[in-house]
Amino acid sequence: MSAPEPPAERAAGVLVRAALTLYPPAWRARYGVEVLALLDDSGGGARAAASLAWHAVPAWVSPPRHLHGGSARMRSSLATTGVAWALLAGLGAVFAQLAQAQPASQGATLAQHPVIQWSYWAFDGCVVVSVLAVAVGGVPLWLNMLRTAPRRRETAWLLAPVVVPAVFLLAAFAIGRLAGRAGPAVVVPSRSGSVAVLANGGVGPWWFLTLVVLGFAAAVLSATGPAVALRRLRPEGSAIVLATRAAMLAAVTMGLAGAASVVAALGLYLWAPADAGYHEGWQLAVYLPAVLLAVAVAIVSAARGLRSARPTAAA
Amino acid sequence: MRDGLDRWADPPLLVLASLAEEAKHGYAITQDVGDTMGVRLSAGTLYAVISRLEARGLIEPLESDDRRRPYRLTADGARELAEQSERMRQVASVAQRRLRANYGWAGA
Repeated sequence: MSAPEPPAERAAGVLVRAALTLYPPAWRARYGVEVLALLDDSGGGARAAASLAWHAVPAWVSPPRHLHGGSARMRSSLATTGVAWALLAGLGAVFAQLAQAQPASQGATLAQHPVIQWSYWAFDGCVVVSVLAVAVGGVPLWLNMLRTAPRRRETAWLLAPVVVPAVFLLAAFAIGRLAGRAGPAVVVPSRSGSVAVLANGGVGPWWFLTLVVLGFAAAVLSATGPAVALRRLRPEGSAIVLATRAAMLAAVTMGLAGAASVVAALGLYLWAPADAGYHEGWQLAVYLPAVLLAVAVAIVSAARGLRSARPTAAA
Repeated sequence: MRDGLDRWADPPLLVLASLAEEAKHGYAITQDVGDTMGVRLSAGTLYAVISRLEARGLIEPLESDDRRRPYRLTADGARELAEQSERMRQVASVAQRRLRANYGWAGA
């Protein structure tokens, strides 16, 4: 009968196993058992777990090529880019609501600060190109997967980008009808503008916040559906190469749209806080890092996929 | 010394140098590198290096029934190690010659 493992060693083993879960699945499948064997021999502790956790970052950012075929890497990068793109689209919708969709009082501001107006135009143009890129690159792959989906469950995941936004829009419409206030807008004392006023439709700040949260949940769910389908159906061939190339264009243009929105939001905050929703510092403190993070994830992931789409990358 | 002057101790080079002796598994590599080169490789560093060297075709895994899979140097890996060690030899040679000439130090 073997002696029971001391609590310290048991805790270290748990830490090491937890650190291994931070690695990409393909990396874990290839090296996980070996790493555990090494730590059994050498005695892994909290330090070994910390080292493993630290090295999980490059394993995601620059995964070893031999662990993935070209198509597998493209599928993986498409899934990640899709989620980041959906989050950026959600952030863009919030920006459009808090800034571009605001009252006509912005007319004077835009004339006085053309940088905001240019940022609006840049934002609009980049969003249009990005959405077109998603449509041109994504629809053929989506149809391809829809045709080959063997079971109802995969089909359901594939329909998420259509069904979920539709449900959200219906819910938003219903909330607008049920919770919308008629009459003059409510102005928060001490400020000349507020989200309550600026949430067009006058649903009030809490309903507006609810719609934002629901919108982000819908965006993530819409992107998660195709990501799950990509993992299960494992499509290959020209459709995934086209989607990967389009994803790069979509990520870059959505990133530029994000940058334009940041410029406009900063301008509004500095020069015309009463004209838009960005009249509180905390709003920018949340918005800016969120945009930067989502842009970084989208572009890094899309670039990884693009590298795999090159003919030489598969060699 | 960990102030940037120990680049010779780059983990990939240490692993290649260790495998130049014979095929080894992860634990044997860390033992060899620690005993003969005085550098302790953590599990995270070692397997980050192994995965990169394997991806570049400089080392290759051998079949194993055990959980401890051994790796060996490939021909490309041997060539890379030879190039890097020749560079290090040149630097060491110049450094020792100048130390001898100017400081009267002939090396340890």
